[in-house]
Amino acid sequence: MSGPIINWIDKRFPLTSFVKHELTDYPTPRNLSYWWNFGFLAGIVLVLQVATGIFLAMHYKADSTLAFDSIQHIMREVNYGWLLRYMHATGASAFFFVIFVHMARTLYYGSFRAPRELLWWTGQGLLLMLMATAFMGYLLPWGQMSFWGATVITNLFKVTPFIGENVVIWLRGDYSVGDDTLTRFFSLHYLFPFLIIGAVIVHLVALHTVKSSNPSGIDLKDKDNIPFHPYFTAKDLYGLGIFLIVYSVFVFFMPNSLIEPANNIPANPMVTPSHIVPEWYFLPFYAILRSVPNMFGGVVAMALSVMMFAFMPFLDRSRIPGGARYRPIYRIQFYLFLLDMLVLGYVGYKPPTNPSIVVVGQVATLCYFASFFVVPFVSKIEERWLIKRGLPAGIMELMEREKRDLENRTQEHRRRKGDLV
Amino acid sequence: MSTLLKIMLLGCLSISAFAEEAKLENIQVATDKPALARGAEDWMNNCHTCHTMKYVKYSDLLSLGIDKAKVDGWRGEASVDTPLIAQMSDADAMATFARVPPDLSLMAQARDGGPNYMYSYLIGYYLKPDGTTGNHIFPETKMPDPLGISSVAGAAQRTEMQNTAKSITSFLTWAADPHTTDRTRLGYYVIGYLIVLSGLLYVVKKQIWSRLK
Ligand code: HEC
Ligand code: HEM
Repeated sequence: MSGPIINWIDKRFPLTSFVKHELTDYPTPRNLSYWWNFGFLAGIVLVLQVATGIFLAMHYKADSTLAFDSIQHIMREVNYGWLLRYMHATGASAFFFVIFVHMARTLYYGSFRAPRELLWWTGQGLLLMLMATAFMGYLLPWGQMSFWGATVITNLFKVTPFIGENVVIWLRGDYSVGDDTLTRFFSLHYLFPFLIIGAVIVHLVALHTVKSSNPSGIDLKDKDNIPFHPYFTAKDLYGLGIFLIVYSVFVFFMPNSLIEPANNIPANPMVTPSHIVPEWYFLPFYAILRSVPNMFGGVVAMALSVMMFAFMPFLDRSRIPGGARYRPIYRIQFYLFLLDMLVLGYVGYKPPTNPSIVVVGQVATLCYFASFFVVPFVSKIEERWLIKRGLPAGIMELMEREKRDLENRTQEHRRRKGDLV
Repeated sequence: MSTLLKIMLLGCLSISAFAEEAKLENIQVATDKPALARGAEDWMNNCHTCHTMKYVKYSDLLSLGIDKAKVDGWRGEASVDTPLIAQMSDADAMATFARVPPDLSLMAQARDGGPNYMYSYLIGYYLKPDGTTGNHIFPETKMPDPLGISSVAGAAQRTEMQNTAKSITSFLTWAADPHTTDRTRLGYYVIGYLIVLSGLLYVVKKQIWSRLK
């Protein structure tokens, strides 16, 4: 970049070098597939949510007597209010969809392994913040499902040892979900996306330190790296176009398919809906909660089920590069895990009145945790078996190179710290 | 990873296959203004006695193209910006039905099955041997058969009544989300635009990547 203005800025702020380092010179493996688009898409959805959310907040009233009416005011009287609301409601689902694919990509290709553990853990933190944001946002329309969903979930904090009752009251601001709950959820729902933006920046700093992994391994020779801009900006923008088409189909043609009918009834503390279901993205975890007969156990199991991903860098002991690509057994584990998630989602959607559904849920819960616990053993056995069987040409070499790469990184780090000259 | 897609697709299909319950009649609701205006009139004549629609105003009925004189007749002294409030007071309704009839503004979206539920419920009344009416869809309902479909004689009269039920359902579906027509119209433009844009972006991407050896 050049020109007098850029020059003026560069003397005072490292603009050109920043753009160079993070975009035009940033080395990106050239073999990244479209599964690598989803991080970028998550960023775009985040921007969409913040943009639509700020405009919704201009017309929304966080007051239990006005909230439901104010949503209808937005839907009917505010210019393009319906568009704002449907974009925001659909956007929440889109966000989870994109993040789930993003995580599945990472699991499939083993991108959580060294040196990307911190990247993976900041991602885990992002997932938790996203869940909290979506949960609090769902209370705001003040429909029946909003009210009872919040009641059920805040009630779970009762299991906190000794101070359970107090924790629940502290969260709700009252003995039951009410006006005080609504106002604090609104306040926090506004705050959290900005915390998420901060966490995404940390996530990206970590990414740019360790660089992207890629479908065939972790380290690539320099000639296989290409600058992020213009190659991946172009690829990401094309992916964004496709994503927006799918998103628009939901926003314009089936926006109510993702809104529970019962949420079109104003919240009524006197009437419990016949069947309380959370949003689809919480269903697998909700199924795990209900599969444990004891409430304390259920809450612990649910919390653990979300946190299990964080253990993956410790659980996976295999050094074979390319994740599931060169690991047939890990690949099977991966698909079985997805299947189990779908089964859990289905169980979470169904009322627990049918005993066979309950049993299926319990088996699926066991499978869920088992699929994590077997990873250390299976991955080690698989590695030994694959090496004995003979890996495809080049893979051993890749492993060697990765090992050297890790050592280089360690050396580099020590040099930077000044330990080594 | 195409196996992944297949698994997801299969999962979705099986979930929707399980979730469906057969009992409801499937209808296609009308969205054109004349049909909605007819539905609004049928609603005023058959349902307004007991039910409120607090998010629908007399001015909204004018926007459907209903005759101004007719709307003026309905609203009497009230301003055009008054919502449609039930003629029966809540106290009278409590005394008669032991509950207040629910607001119908969002009813078309507030039950599983949506408009299909509403239509099936309205035409679901039948005469029991003891002379009282029952309902196939909502057996314990406190609402008396509003259209009188349980006591019709011939097939022709029944069809006519089904048409009334259909037009009322169309009106209530419109009322639950009045911008539906605008929304789908805008949707075609937006998606058309995005398809062209994505096509261009694809060409740009190909072009840029072709520089690589
Ligand atoms: C005589 C008074 C009366 C009239 C007229 C009337 N309703 Fe109702 N309606 C009720 C009452 C009472 C209920 C509550 C039923 C219950 O919960 O058992 C009700 C409930 C309903 C429900 C909700 C059913 C549910 O699933 O909870 C719908 C839909 C409905 N009415 C539609 C209509 C329509 C459409 C008309 C006009 C064709 C109409 N009603 C006319 C009294 C009436
Ligand atoms: C607000 C949500 C998030 C945003 C905006 C975001 C953004 C990004 C972006 C832009 C990338 C680089 C492009 C890519 O690899 O797709 C990336 C990479 C990555 N993300 Fe996220 N992410 C989010 C959440 C998560 C979550 C929930 C996880 C997992 C728990 C996660 C784990 C990772 C990992 C491990 C990488 C590096 C993968 C690789 O390059 O091979 N991220 N993220």
